[in-house]
Amino acid sequence: MSKELITLTHISKSFDGQLILDDLNLVIHENEFVTLLGPSGCGKTTTLRIIGGFETPDQGQVIFDGKDITALAPNKRQLNTVFQKYALFTHMDIADNIAFGLRIKNKSDQYIRDKIAYALKLVNLEGYEHRMPDSLSGGQQQRIAIARAIVNEPKVLLLDEPLGALDLKLRQDMQYELIRLKKELGITFIYVTHDQEEALTMSDHIVVMNQGYIQQEGTPEDIYNEPENAFVADFIGDSNIITATMVRDELVRILGVEFPCVDKGFGEEKPVDVVIRPEDVELVPRGEGCIPGEVTHIIFKGVHYEMEVQAGGFEWLVHSTKESPVGSQIDIRVDPFNIQVMNKPASEDEQAIGVEE
Amino acid sequence: MNSKRHPVEKIYMAIIFLFMYAPIVTLIVLSFNGSKSRAKWGGFTMEWYANLIHDSEVLNAMANTLIIALIATIVSTLIGTAASVALTGMKRRTRSLVIGVTNIPMINADIVTGISLMLLFKVLHFETGFLTVLIAHITFDIPYVMLSVLPRMKTISPSVYEAALDLGAEPFFAFRKTILPDLTPAIISGALMAFTMSIDDFIITYFTKGSGFDTLSTKIYSEVKRGIRPEIYALSAIIFIVVLILLLTSDRIKAKAGKSVRRERSVQREKIRRIGVIALASGASIAIILMALAFGGVFSKNSTQVFVYNAGEYIDPEVIEMFTEETGIEVVYDEFESNEIMYAKVAADGSAYDVLCPSDYMIAKLIDNDMLMKLDPAKIPNALQYIGKQYYESATSFDPGNEYAVPYCWGTVGILYNKTMVDGPVDSWDILWDPKYQGEILMQDSIRDAFMVALARRGYSINSVDPEEIRQATDDLIAQAPLVQAYVVDQVRDKMIGDEAALGVIYSGEAIYTRRENENLEYVIPKEGSNVWIDGWVISRDARNVDNALAWIDFLCRPDIALMNFEYITYSTPNVAAQEMIEDEDIRNSNVAFPDEETLSRCDTYVSLGEDGDRLYNEAWKKVKSAD
Amino acid sequence: MFRDPKKAGTIASPYFVWALIFILVPLAMILWYGFTDDTGAFTAANIASILQPEHAKSLLLALELSILSTVICFLLAYPLGMILAKNKVSSQGIITTIFILPMWMNFLLRTFSWMTLLENHGVINGILEFLHLPGIHVINTPAAIVIGMVYNFLPFMIMPIYNSLSKIDDNVINAARDLGANSVQTFLRVTLPLTVPGIISGVTMVFIPALTTFAISTMLGGSKILLIGNVIEQEFTLTYDWHLGSGLSIVLMVFIVINMVVSALSEKKDEQ
Repeated sequence: MSKELITLTHISKSFDGQLILDDLNLVIHENEFVTLLGPSGCGKTTTLRIIGGFETPDQGQVIFDGKDITALAPNKRQLNTVFQKYALFTHMDIADNIAFGLRIKNKSDQYIRDKIAYALKLVNLEGYEHRMPDSLSGGQQQRIAIARAIVNEPKVLLLDEPLGALDLKLRQDMQYELIRLKKELGITFIYVTHDQEEALTMSDHIVVMNQGYIQQEGTPEDIYNEPENAFVADFIGDSNIITATMVRDELVRILGVEFPCVDKGFGEEKPVDVVIRPEDVELVPRGEGCIPGEVTHIIFKGVHYEMEVQAGGFEWLVHSTKESPVGSQIDIRVDPFNIQVMNKPASEDEQAIGVEE
Repeated sequence: MNSKRHPVEKIYMAIIFLFMYAPIVTLIVLSFNGSKSRAKWGGFTMEWYANLIHDSEVLNAMANTLIIALIATIVSTLIGTAASVALTGMKRRTRSLVIGVTNIPMINADIVTGISLMLLFKVLHFETGFLTVLIAHITFDIPYVMLSVLPRMKTISPSVYEAALDLGAEPFFAFRKTILPDLTPAIISGALMAFTMSIDDFIITYFTKGSGFDTLSTKIYSEVKRGIRPEIYALSAIIFIVVLILLLTSDRIKAKAGKSVRRERSVQREKIRRIGVIALASGASIAIILMALAFGGVFSKNSTQVFVYNAGEYIDPEVIEMFTEETGIEVVYDEFESNEIMYAKVAADGSAYDVLCPSDYMIAKLIDNDMLMKLDPAKIPNALQYIGKQYYESATSFDPGNEYAVPYCWGTVGILYNKTMVDGPVDSWDILWDPKYQGEILMQDSIRDAFMVALARRGYSINSVDPEEIRQATDDLIAQAPLVQAYVVDQVRDKMIGDEAALGVIYSGEAIYTRRENENLEYVIPKEGSNVWIDGWVISRDARNVDNALAWIDFLCRPDIALMNFEYITYSTPNVAAQEMIEDEDIRNSNVAFPDEETLSRCDTYVSLGEDGDRLYNEAWKKVKSAD
Repeated sequence: MFRDPKKAGTIASPYFVWALIFILVPLAMILWYGFTDDTGAFTAANIASILQPEHAKSLLLALELSILSTVICFLLAYPLGMILAKNKVSSQGIITTIFILPMWMNFLLRTFSWMTLLENHGVINGILEFLHLPGIHVINTPAAIVIGMVYNFLPFMIMPIYNSLSKIDDNVINAARDLGANSVQTFLRVTLPLTVPGIISGVTMVFIPALTTFAISTMLGGSKILLIGNVIEQEFTLTYDWHLGSGLSIVLMVFIVINMVVSALSEKKDEQ
């Protein structure tokens, strides 16, 4: 893995007596696309603002490229930010917006002109030099905000929910655009979002946060396939999270029925949570599966059908390409590999981190 | 980020706060001042608050202010809101044109707006008064309402309204149910702004009010020149405290409501709206209570009235009440600051006042311009019986044949000086040009008196219309200007009592009062001579209540009334019977109140200068005033 | 109502009539009086009389004092606006308390009160004397008039400046810092330009009333200092020459129009 670029150690921050970040530790590597993912109020934006220098942590240090920059003013940091709602300078035209940072650094006119042209080309907005920000669409403004940041050649680009204000189609386009930009620029992106799909699509590395704590870190595949707790499981994609008992290694009792699984090391007769993704639940004719049930709802979603199945006293969410009409009497079957066993939160504190209904 | 306020910020806020509130605290303190003069602290008193209940003039002005503000707010809110709603549906160009016109009263200088409306009312022969002021207020209130409502209107999507129409709602019902709720906060804040502007307005009211009608502002302005009646401080203090309490309580309710925001947004919005309504309702009810306090004068207009236009502080207020009690005639009483201002008013509208009290030269001018009515001797027996013959005699200089005027007060113009601040005896006008007293001299803010001083000093006639003599007098006054602390009218009194100046040109009547308050003051008629003046009651040619006006004049000539008046205003009375009844021997024989023959022989009365003379003086006076 | 100009016209018509009669016609009236003499004949003399030394002097002095007051108001209001905008939560309450509340104490009384404060033996000098400091002589000087103007018109400067400052997204400021600007550069290149519309409306709302006041100069200048407002007022209340008064008002309106055009132009530029 490439070298460590930013290290956050023991960061705590509170506002008005409310703890937003509690003893946070995080390492970000060079040339990574890192996403801080979590619901609003989880501390992801505060973490970004601490990296950007807009907030000072109450405790802890920010190390950038081996140097402590905790107290350094934002204008002295080698990173740039793309803000939520763009934050363009509405009294300047596009060229002046992009040139802002370069003029502050007293770059030559020729250099600035070249940079503007380069940046506009990069974000596919050539010829927009003399438009005013207000006359641009949201997506265009967002690209300008990115162009304005990257002409300064930062080592790290911080993006604070940059696509939040755009509509769905545009958001998807911009996701590919950002991946392309990241590849072309070869710098580190730290991206903040509450949209799990965005995070899964773009990131090399995802940090799932909730209530000031990091819940899980890892590649998109890790996070999706092996959520470490009910919060992550619930937050990333749809899941069936069921209280169960670990009978012994590789055997778990779900809703009174024993299922073979692949997890080990939870002890014997221990209460656990299991996560089963809706697409991993198979509906088979009565008698062929483990738990008998009845289909109560069905919706056609394009690629698949989304169904609700009442089985064993639990309402299962099921995704399947095969249609089972409402009222069908079926059995539920789950492959051992698709059962993800997680520890139950031990204390009330951890409980609080868990799923919110 | 915004956790703690920086100490420098705190200090800065404190300074601004002090700056904004120092005058207000001063006023509140003055409302408890036992002395009538603002220059002296006369101990703590609640007297002015107690007096307030009976002070119908001040309460009337207050009621007028509130009624005007309330009606103007309601009308301008309705018109302004309707216009804002309609404007959003118009073409862009029409809209910007209309908005441009709307903003004129807001951007334009108040003085120009006031004058322009005044000209309109005069040309249309609108009777100036309540209605004209109301129209003026509505006119300048509308932009404030639109300023608040228009931007909000622009943000409201018409689709909800259209949906309501689509569902079969009547247009107005749909508007009320869909758009109005969103618009309400903007309408309320626009209405509050309009109300505040209306309450605080002076300039536009001043030009559109006409006679016999005052709001608090114009009342105060007319009183400023002679020192404001302490009852007004008391009233202002009460208003201020009431508004303060209202604001604090509504803030507290809001803060409470604010806490529940996170839980229930919509409930909170509803609450805030309710609070707004409550605040508005309680404001309105307080206004109504205050109005009820003062209701008497405004709507109870009856036919038995008399419109009196007198100089400031020139009557015992009790006399007015007694007159009404005894005759049943209601007195609409107004005051002017100078003869010239009085003339301008009467010339503009001769029927505005029935009975006036100008000075000698101005009576002559009014007679010359055929603006007065001959008095019916049969209806003023007291005047014939008790006013001294010598005064009628003197009056022939401006009213030959004594057909138009009954003398009311007389006196001289002289120098009031502070013995502790001036060396040696004062006996000449020259001392007013002595550089030693730079900044210690108070001159009269009156054309004739100022020029009288300069002309008399050079030994010229005080009625000179010789351009060369006037030129010299003008130069003298310009040369004197740097020495003068201020040109004032009745304020000479307060300022001399408060040791603010060493020398002041003043009327003899004020000398008695000021010496009572500050024993270091001395009054002298300079050796070069001065003006002896007579003020008399006259009736306007276009008077509407002639008999009442005659009754008024005759009432003032009754010896007991004349005596009461003399003791209150301390100006010499020509009422011989009253003179004999003065108990204080010092005053009865005072050379100030009743100067001896020798002194009087040096003094002249003013005569009317004629149109050309007036113009000459006016031009010269402007030169003096704009000199540095 | 919304998309039907005809209906909109009906609803707005009371207002149109009102605006025509009470805004436009009166202005026409001033023009008429200003350009005629007693006999009704056309003349430019009323306008030209502004060149008479006493009129010119009063206009120049009014310009000088009102510009000075405007500048002082701006310098006082901007930092205050920044402080208020920074502490968003309760500032609306503070603004009302500081600036709207005093308006309920009559404007003339408040100004009058400054007389008591500033007089040679007034409250301020009393305090200075008590502290054994030299007294100040301010009353009846132009300085007193400027104090009165600043006092009365400061709220009109603060409100628009505060509004435009509080409209700036925090992140716009953060963006400038992020792009390398220090706090001074951020202020000069971002904050200040973004508040220009607020500043312009503040300047208008202070400059015009200050230029045309007559009450403040009468009360705090001891009638010794004649501003153009006093001259006009006297033409109507003292010397009774409506034509001259209207003529001078027209001259005054020229300055108002200049001010309006300047602010309209800069707003347009801002819109582009």
